[in-house]
Amino acid sequence: MINRYQLGTYAMRALVYAVLITLLVITIIPIWMLIVNATRSTTEIQQGLSALPSTHLLENYHILQSKGLNMGRGFANSLFVAVASTLIAVYFALLTAYGLVVYEFKGKKLLSGFIVLLVLIPMQFSIVGFYHYMSRLGLTDNYAALILPLVASAAAVFFGRQYLESVVVRELIDAARIDGSSELGIFHKVMMPLAIPGAATLGIFVFVAAWNNFFNAFILISSLDKYTLPMLVQTLRGDVYRTEYGAIYLGLAITVVPIIIIYAVFSRFIISGIAMGALKE
Amino acid sequence: MRSARLSTNSYGYLFIAPFILGFLIFGLYPVYNTLALSLTDTTLMSREVNYIGLKNFERLFADDFFLKAVGNSWLIWTLNFIPQIGIALLLSAWFTNLRLKIRAVGVWRALFFLPNLLMPAAVAALFFSLFSYYGPVNQLMVQTGVLSEAMHYLQDVTTTRGLVIFIQWWMWFGQTAIILMAGMTAIPIHLYEAAMVDGASSAQMFTRITLPLLKPILIFVFVTSLVGGMQMFDIPFLLTDGRGSPASSIMTNNILMYLKFSSSKGHLAFASSVGVLVFIMTTVCALGIFYVLRERDGGSNGKSRSERVATLERKGAQA
Repeated sequence: MINRYQLGTYAMRALVYAVLITLLVITIIPIWMLIVNATRSTTEIQQGLSALPSTHLLENYHILQSKGLNMGRGFANSLFVAVASTLIAVYFALLTAYGLVVYEFKGKKLLSGFIVLLVLIPMQFSIVGFYHYMSRLGLTDNYAALILPLVASAAAVFFGRQYLESVVVRELIDAARIDGSSELGIFHKVMMPLAIPGAATLGIFVFVAAWNNFFNAFILISSLDKYTLPMLVQTLRGDVYRTEYGAIYLGLAITVVPIIIIYAVFSRFIISGIAMGALKE
Repeated sequence: MRSARLSTNSYGYLFIAPFILGFLIFGLYPVYNTLALSLTDTTLMSREVNYIGLKNFERLFADDFFLKAVGNSWLIWTLNFIPQIGIALLLSAWFTNLRLKIRAVGVWRALFFLPNLLMPAAVAALFFSLFSYYGPVNQLMVQTGVLSEAMHYLQDVTTTRGLVIFIQWWMWFGQTAIILMAGMTAIPIHLYEAAMVDGASSAQMFTRITLPLLKPILIFVFVTSLVGGMQMFDIPFLLTDGRGSPASSIMTNNILMYLKFSSSKGHLAFASSVGVLVFIMTTVCALGIFYVLRERDGGSNGKSRSERVATLERKGAQA
């Protein structure tokens, strides 16, 4: 027998699934259109909508290349900036976090509190001062200006500290000290292997942020051969491609698909990472 | 042999030194430099720099574009945040509901989160293409008879603003839902079980147990979203002409800052003062949120989650 209470739950459940499916459609359709249209010719796109991919992927790529926009180059540039940013941010964040978790020193509490504050402060407001300063150092139009600031990424340190607090094993550190390891040696040989899952999660976040970063690159980088993908996307919006719809969609897909692949593989890490970053009270 | 070994704990300074150094060079100095620039008349071209006090700020307040940019930023952020937090609360409440037992929760939230990872520049360009005059949205609208003829979505103030708001919502509701859900699953399950035994409805459990215990996380989401919203740039910049068209309706704080920065004279000082004012405004509002939403009962400001759980349990025992 189904009682009234259960019936209410069934009706509610049906409503919930209806809302979830609606939201899913809204979430996926724009992305699906992007990927499908990247494989369709401009004529096909103009003729109407399609939910299925076509066969003009290569043709679109040739059009994209023929207009002087070097997507391959942009891809390589973005990859370089994102990988270098990731390595620098993750290594120095773990180094700082290790210092904060393992040692007791004056000012430690102050620094930890300050780092939380830095995470919330919008540092973008100082981009003009940063640009002016970099131009005096001759570092504008140089990837160093995009990558080196990540030595002091407050958000990364914050995440690293949360993570290390849960994985540091003091007995292991003490044992390594007795064996005569140096403090830095212990960090590299004992801590790093333990921290790999956290480092990977953090690394994914830094990579995605660096890959997607438009504003800083747009302000600091000026020569075309150094353009990263988001800057090339901005060029795609220009007049040269006005009617080459297929090529435009393909150009956008090239920037977005690598991230979708990374997400398909690592979504578990990414989602638990977001949840962890927020539960910080 | 060294006579006095360095105390182990002072190695802590060694480990944090690169961060401190990096922060001073790449974080603090640019902040100082921005503040200093905002009090001068520096341009990209100028040889000599004059200290002009608060003149840049006076000019900004007299500048309709600045007030418009601030107004736009608030409008776009508010109208995206309300549905964002609303849908996120709904989703997280459903996903953690013991009675509903929604299947494949992990898959749903993973899919809802996907737009957040996509490059905002590409997302803006994508929506520009989808909503262009000859684009797929117009094709669909005309074919299905919703519109009698194609329309210029991106030349109309309301639809353009609406589109920016929609894109921001689309990119962020999944992330907010994940954060709220993490907060909800951290609430001890026996509180709900006790409430269910007492015959509480889902709505009662949500307003009496979930919301009060979720407050710190809600404040966190509120503040981080506001801070992000005041910095909005990529989407409104790339959706139209990079000047916030039509009629400056999607010109945000950072677009204005960029326009001053990239103007023919490269007015660094003026652009800096935009950054400084937006920073002050954002910080004051963020602190205001913390102050207004702080715990007021019993005078204890920073009550921890465990204290709150204990309070709820006491109340439950008394009932």
